[in-house]
Amino acid sequence: MNRFRRYRGIRIWLFISICLTFASLAIILGYIFIHGINELSIQFLLGTPQGFPLGIEGGIWPAIMGSLGFTSIACLFGSILAIPTAIWLVFYNKNLCITSLCHFFIYSMAGVPSIILGLFGYAFFVVTLKLGVSLLSGGLILGVMIFPFIEVRVEKSFREFPLQLVQASLALGVTRTWTLFHLVFPASLGDIASAIALGGSFAMGATAPILFTGAVLFAPVPRSLFSPAMALPNHLYILVGQGISLSKAYGTALVLIIILLALNSVPIFIRMHRKEG
Amino acid sequence: MDPMLETRNLSVSFGGKVILKGINVSIPPHQITAIIGPSGCGKSTFLKSLNRLINEEEGAITEGHVLLDGENILSLQPEKVRRRIGMVFQTPTPFPLSIFDNMAYPLRYYGYKKENIHTIIIEKLKIAGLYEEVQNNLSMKATLLSGGQQQRLCIARALTVEPEILLLDEPCSALDIKNTLNIETMLAKLCEHYTIIIVTHNLFQARRLAHKTLFMLDGEIVEEGCTSTIFSQPQDERTAEYISGIYG
Repeated sequence: MNRFRRYRGIRIWLFISICLTFASLAIILGYIFIHGINELSIQFLLGTPQGFPLGIEGGIWPAIMGSLGFTSIACLFGSILAIPTAIWLVFYNKNLCITSLCHFFIYSMAGVPSIILGLFGYAFFVVTLKLGVSLLSGGLILGVMIFPFIEVRVEKSFREFPLQLVQASLALGVTRTWTLFHLVFPASLGDIASAIALGGSFAMGATAPILFTGAVLFAPVPRSLFSPAMALPNHLYILVGQGISLSKAYGTALVLIIILLALNSVPIFIRMHRKEG
Repeated sequence: MDPMLETRNLSVSFGGKVILKGINVSIPPHQITAIIGPSGCGKSTFLKSLNRLINEEEGAITEGHVLLDGENILSLQPEKVRRRIGMVFQTPTPFPLSIFDNMAYPLRYYGYKKENIHTIIIEKLKIAGLYEEVQNNLSMKATLLSGGQQQRLCIARALTVEPEILLLDEPCSALDIKNTLNIETMLAKLCEHYTIIIVTHNLFQARRLAHKTLFMLDGEIVEEGCTSTIFSQPQDERTAEYISGIYG
């Protein structure tokens, strides 16, 4: 009887947890939707910030494009770092000590506070490499931030690929590299795309790393990698932090959330497509 | 008869633990050689060391010589060795591709032309006795085939690159009697063109199929010889005990 009660208690606890998860997400999304929906208009989406103080009127088009630019560079740079690291750790490195050491560095990197990454990005990309406060500097530091995020997921996907199939391929006299590109990669492509998409949404929502490296109060839609850019989270921070316009802030937040939800749904679509396949 | 494959003092160890202890055997060409022995005696390790697949495993150290037509394979590029010595595993290993792409996979790697690839695929599927069953479904995912069909596909795939030797690591252990007999019939035909080395737990299979049998125990070859002699008049007491089912 006691055991039955205990299990029932655990089940109730689990049920409450899942309800709270859904409820908190629904409340956040609902709250932002209710407060931000009135701001959404073509003018708001496609216009530039205007008025005095700047942002009290107009739209957020440069911030949307800036955020997409930062995120694209981050995904590209993060993937360029993460995918080869995962490949090397899983398929080429046979030394367990080196694997452990690499994992230590990767996990430690994931734990570095984003504001410190921002400081490093400023010192290294902006000052030392003389890239200036630009889309490129901001994108690169965001890439550094999402590198561990992508690496861990891609490495997991590679490790889940059956070792026996790799051995069967090698047993045909095929090289490891051919096996990787013609067998493992096509099978893991969905997971890799999911990891990059999730990393992208992580990068898009981050403010601290681009605060000193790429994001500015106002800039037109960036035409070069070396020009500074607006970004949605930074714009939101300024609108609220400097008390410019709370309604515009909710509108910006809603646009940001919609883009993030779209990015987060990429892995779901990929999984559904793979199941159908 | 000159041996096709020979090992001289072949030892394999993992992190200080010796798995194979100085093995000396010779494998005759165009015959089926069976390797029997209890679980954990090193049969699969021995098989994998013959095509250098063992070197892909973490911490494996190989010593000694493996001579293929008199040439030490340990000094050759592993890929070149594996093209000449194909391998089929215990559980079927179809790639997550179509039947056609499974067969074409190694051929594309070796740069065969499209028209040749098609001819070779049909020829090898026929040899494996699978063509009749899949000829209308070559674009079907190979993983949807039955276990027996998957294993025959893997054998056909291994044959596409025309190896001289085919290593089989308990290829029928996951199959039913009918599929086992299909594969045995195929192997009996294949040995006219290929040298076959098969690891098996099934003593009846070794007896039915093999011209020569090696008995392994604790990483050593206890006894080797003509299959009929090994099974009827084993020289070593341990072989006799294993064959009579006292252990294993």
